[in-house]
Order: sequence, then C-alpha cells, then structure tokens
Amino acid sequence: MQLLALAIFLFFNAQAQNSQDGDAAVVQAGGALFRERCADCHGADAKGVSGPDLTRLWATPGNEARVFQTIRSGVPGSIMPASSAPDSELQAIVAYLRSISTAKTEDSSGSVANGARILAAHCASCHRVNNVGGRLGPDLSRLAASQSNQVLTRAIREASASLTSGYESVTLTTRDGRQIRGTRKGEDPFSIQIMDTHERLQGYLKADLKEVIREKKSLMPDFGPDQLSDRDLNDLLAFLGTLRTRAPANQNPGAVNQR
Amino acid sequence: MRKPLVRVIGSLSLVILLGTVLGRAQEEKRAGAATTATAVTSQDLLNGLKNPSSWLTYSGDYSGQRHSPLKQITPENAHRLSAQWTFQTETMARGRGFEATPLIVDGVLYATGPNDFAWALDARTGRPFWRYRRELPNNLTYGASVPVNRGFAVLADRLFMTTLDSHLVALDIKTGGVLWDIALADYKAGYSGTVPPLVVKDRLIVGSSGGDYPTRGFLDAYDPTNGKRIWRFNTVPGPGEPGSETWPPSAEQIARGGGTTWVVGSYDPELNTLYWGTGNPNPDYYGDDRKGDNLYTCSLIAIDPDTGQLKWYYQFTPHDLHDWDSNHVPVLADLTIAGQRRKVVMVANRNGFFYVLDRITGKVLLGKPFTDTTWARELGPDGHPLIVNDGSKGCIPDNWGGTNFMPPSFDPSLRLFFVTARETCATFVPEHQVIAPGRFSLSGTVRRDLDKAYGALRAIDPTTGERRWEFKFQSPSFSGVLSTAAGVVFDGDNEGNFMAFDSRTGKNLWHYQTGSPIWGGAPMTYLLDDRQYVVIGSGTNITAFALPRE
Repeated sequence: MQLLALAIFLFFNAQAQNSQDGDAAVVQAGGALFRERCADCHGADAKGVSGPDLTRLWATPGNEARVFQTIRSGVPGSIMPASSAPDSELQAIVAYLRSISTAKTEDSSGSVANGARILAAHCASCHRVNNVGGRLGPDLSRLAASQSNQVLTRAIREASASLTSGYESVTLTTRDGRQIRGTRKGEDPFSIQIMDTHERLQGYLKADLKEVIREKKSLMPDFGPDQLSDRDLNDLLAFLGTLRTRAPANQNPGAVNQR
Repeated sequence: MRKPLVRVIGSLSLVILLGTVLGRAQEEKRAGAATTATAVTSQDLLNGLKNPSSWLTYSGDYSGQRHSPLKQITPENAHRLSAQWTFQTETMARGRGFEATPLIVDGVLYATGPNDFAWALDARTGRPFWRYRRELPNNLTYGASVPVNRGFAVLADRLFMTTLDSHLVALDIKTGGVLWDIALADYKAGYSGTVPPLVVKDRLIVGSSGGDYPTRGFLDAYDPTNGKRIWRFNTVPGPGEPGSETWPPSAEQIARGGGTTWVVGSYDPELNTLYWGTGNPNPDYYGDDRKGDNLYTCSLIAIDPDTGQLKWYYQFTPHDLHDWDSNHVPVLADLTIAGQRRKVVMVANRNGFFYVLDRITGKVLLGKPFTDTTWARELGPDGHPLIVNDGSKGCIPDNWGGTNFMPPSFDPSLRLFFVTARETCATFVPEHQVIAPGRFSLSGTVRRDLDKAYGALRAIDPTTGERRWEFKFQSPSFSGVLSTAAGVVFDGDNEGNFMAFDSRTGKNLWHYQTGSPIWGGAPMTYLLDDRQYVVIGSGTNITAFALPRE
C-alpha cells in the first residue's frame, strides 16, 4: 500500500516536473519568437522603442486573451501588423511576455508628491491626467500606463524626437497674414483640421490659407536638465508611475481610421 | 350618297381599329425599343460606350480603357458639379464598402454591394426597384474576411454575379429573382467570388478569389442560359504540363499554389483574345517551399475564349514574396512606339512598374517604374525585373503595392494613362506556417511605416513611360479612375474626396467629401435625359453627380 502511494507520488511528481520543463521551454521559444518578430518596435527588453512597453501588460488582471488577440489581429491604423502564425506560437509569445512582466510600479526613489507638483507646474497646461489639465498634448494617464521610464524620460528630455501621430505641430498663415499654431488632427488635399494652442478645434480650407508650415519640432519644449533637474524628473516619473496601476494597460490611444 | 349606318360604323370601327392597331404597334415599337434596351445583346457589348446612355460591363467596354465619349462635363464647368442623389445600403464591410461599378441599362442602375447584396436603382433618383440578398453560410472563409463584390455582368435579360461562397448566380433583370446558381469551387477550402463575370460572345468568363488561402486559381467559361461549364484554365499548371517545372514537383503544392483571377479582364474581338491578370502564389510571404518562378502567378495571360487555351503569358513578378497580385484591368489600345504602330496591352502593376506589351505576341515593349519603388528600377533583357532591394536594404512597397485592383483609365486622344499610385514603406517578415484548407496562409507579416506613405493620381505617357503630371493625396488611396473625352479625369482618395481633374494638366477642378474612404470603387458615367451623370461608390453609399439644370 505504502509502495503504491509512493509510486503515485513519484508519478505525479514526475508529471509536474515535465509540465514545468514544458512551460520553461515554451517561454524560451516565445522569447526567441519575440526577439525575431517583435523586438524591432518593442525593444529586445520589451520595454518599448517606437511601440509600447510590454513589461506592464499584466498591470491589469486577466490580460492573456487580450494580448493574444492583439498579436493575432494587430492594431488597425498603426504599424502593428496582424499575425497568421499558429496559435501555439502566439501562446508562446504571450507566455514569454507574462514571464518578464513587472506588474508592479517600477522602483522609483522619487517623491510622488513633488512629482505631482512638477506636473502641475510644467505639464498640466498641455497634458491631461485623470481628466484634469490641458488637451493640446497626449493624455498622460494612458500614455504613462503603457510606457517605460526610459521611454518617458526620452519623451520629456527630447520631446521633438518622439513626436506622436496626431500631434505634429503646424502653423497656418491665413490670407490676411494671421498665424495660427496648433497640432494637426487631419488633412486632405483641400483642408486641414487642427487643435490650436487655445485648444480650439477648427478646420481650414487650404484655399483660404497662404501657407501651411509643418514643423519638425514638437510644440512641447525639450525639458533639458537646466529646465528640469534629474531629481525633479525622477519625482515626476514616480508620480507617473502611480498612474499605471489605475489605467488599463495596452490601450491604443492613437488608433486612426481602419483601412 | 347615303352610306348605310352599318358601313359608317364599320368604317369608323375600321379607323378606330386601325388607329388602335397602329397605336399599339407604335407602343410596341417603343416598348420594343425598351425591351431591346433591357435585353442586352452581344452586339451591344461590342458597341461598348458608343451608346453613352448605357454602361454594360465593369470597364464600360471590352478595351478596359474606362474612357467615356461624353463631353457635357468639361474642365470649364466641372466646378459646378453637385450631388443629385445618394443611395445608402443597409449592409457594410468593415473598412471597405462599395467596390462595384454599377451597370446601366435603359435608365436603371444595377449594382452589387458588400455581403452579396444587389440592387436595381432608378438612375434618376437612386430609388430602388428591387433588392437581392444571398443567404450566405456562416462558415465563410476568404469571403468573410473580404465580403465585397465588384459588380454584375449583363446579357439578354439576365444579370450574373459571383458570390462570397464561390458560386455563380444568374438573376432576372426585372425582379432580382434567381434563375440558376452553380458552385465554382469549395468555399470551405478558401475559395470565394468577388469578380464581375465578363460576357464574351455566347459565354460568361469567370474568375476566382481566395489566393491568400491554399487555393488554386482558375479562369472558367460558362453557358449563360444554364450555368454549364464550357472550359476551365488552371493558372497553376498540373504535374507534367508546361510551366509545372517552375514549381517543386509536388502535386499537393500545385493544388494550392494560388494565382487567382479576381479582377475582370479585357477582350479583343478582332484577335479573339482574352487578357486576364493572375494573383500571388500561395503562401504569400514565405517562398522556400515553392522555389521557382511559380507560373502563371502574378502574370498576364492571353486566352482563346473559344477553347480556354493559353496563347501567351507574361509574368510581371517571378516568385513573388510580397503579395503583389497582378490582378489589374488590362488596358487595350493601339499606340505608335518607336515609329511602329502596335496593338498593345497596358498594365500599371502592383510591383510598381508600368508595362506596355504587344498584345499579339506578349512581348514587352516598355517596363518602367511609375512609383519610387526601391525593389527594382529596370527590367533585364529577359523582361524580368532586376531586383536591387529584396527588403534587406530598407523598406519596399507594402503588400498592397504601387497600385492595386482599382482600375486605371486611358485617354486615347491625349495618349495618357491615369492611375491611382500608392507610395508606401514596409518591412516583410516571412514565417513558415502549417498550411491547412480554409486557413489564411499569408505565412508572415508586414510592418508598415504609415508616416512615409502617400497616394497620387498620376498621368503616364505610355509611349515613353514618363510621368506627365501628378496630384498628391494625403495617404495611399484605393480609388479607380474614369476619364472622359471632354478632358476630365475623375478619381477619389482615402480621405473620402471624390474629385475631378483637368486631363491635360492635372489641375484639380472640383471635389466632394463623400464621408468614407473611396476604397476599391471606380467611377462610371452615363447620359440620361440629356444630362451627364457621374457615379461613385464610397463606404455604404453610392452618389450620383451632375451639373445643375439650366
């Protein structure tokens, strides 16, 4: 009897061991697939380059099916393509992403309270957080939720280098010489739709304009160390980090028209 | 002289009778004219747009020029065009919409729409006479991912359409009732139907869709009276047949090699030759298991409509790895090239090149890029592209290509070819995939850099391949083109504008915001009550434009 119990124990133990080995193999295979197909945009460490930080996907529970579906269908209107790879390969990528997940807020030694103050002083006139603040720039409650500190730091220090679609800055010169600055929301050969610096949404007929000047620079200034010290930046990131637990990750704020 | 009353009554009756008979005869003559107009003959199809009150095939006539002789709308007055009516469907295809060119017979438009709906519409008002809706199975494959249709063919009092579940259906032109319905291929394997059939003499020429699934393309001929198949040409040759040496020796691979025929061809009655484009080899992006040129995919095939025999072929993209189907309307014209009068066929190809071929022999007379493609910039002496960037030296045009299935137009008097060009930047990532019937088999992914993409209407001189002018669009667009003898070109963009241009200069004359990207639709035009209408499909709408009444 004891012998039988021992045999059963050994058997199940062996099974469990196999299953664990299997999981590890799947994660490893998923990692290889990730580096081959995803790393160009999401970074070798999955912390995001042009695409979002994927280490935060499990900040909200029950995300597996959604991540799988996003890989399967892609994100319409963005560079993220659909995949026709077998389910098993997609599941491996999902397993890999789960294994590298850092669902908790990134360690930040900064002061959240000071970060909130910095945000109010420097950012809130153009950026919104939890429905408070300006609308000229992207809403940070969602952006911060999907980006790593590294990407956010670059977006703050070199704003023009990480310009988001839908926020390109333009200056319109009217026939009577008036200049209107804003961010471009839409354009076709005959018209342009902008949000001006007073947050006025307004469309203009190109026939009524003398010139449309497209600036390579963002309307947002580069916040170099002279304008924002490393310490203040660290505090700001600490504050933005608190947003990650509130907003659902993996949203796509920039989805434009489906082709 | 006193006439007996009976005789007077008799004469009167005779007069009345005669009057009635004559009246009826006249009525019948009128009705006869109407019946003739509704009962489309092979001769009407040969006449093409000589009768500008009718538009009887997808391209308007057999040449594929999509060029109307109408002259009421001119570069001078086009700015006065205004919408006359809008027809709105109750069905839609996500991100797509109307891709059909409506036909017009005797004042009635016949249009097909998404999900195999179809309508007969009053060409004066857009009001419907009847609606057809096909009961589709709920396990569609390709037909579910691209639930569009590109239009009817017409002969006698019958309309013909292919369906998403890969059938061919004949409808009664008066009621939309089904006359017969036959299966072309098994939709469960991935086959589908979106192409308008082409009536040639006493037969229907029909192509297939589904080349992104493991299917084998074909071109068929059917008897319009009963749907009986007359011949089939397989675009991927069977084992041992000529062309099979361009495939691995695998019957299994051949049975799913792609090369579908989902855009309607053109026809030269004098040479009795059909010209038809073929699609990508399958799987789309991963080619290691199908080494070789993969004939007759990504090709133009010249077919004898009587027998289904291949006369010649030209392959634009050997061993395609980018889903660059060659499904384009071939444009037939007579041109003087290098001092010699030639019967030519012109194709602006998805691979970014503009081609002129001798349509008697299939010989390449000219092949030049009409886009900024970095994939290849010239053809070698064998007529094959000299590939300089397979994608490893920066981005190449995306899988939708330098243009796509949206038809171009050709103005024979100005000798200009008008095409909606797409400039894009993409990276292809092939992946090996297990192939299974009914499963999407792209075998890889495409990453598009949308910021670098735009579209343009371009005018090309086909005798030199040089660009005469262009008008740029904000983003890559999918609208077909129409030109007219008055020197006006119509085109649409992905932002939803329907536009008129001066054919000579490319100057924009007029635009109208339709509210949806013009995605796959192509304009057509007709004369009705002495007014020239121009019609375009966009999203869930068909809109008709004309100059205001005086």
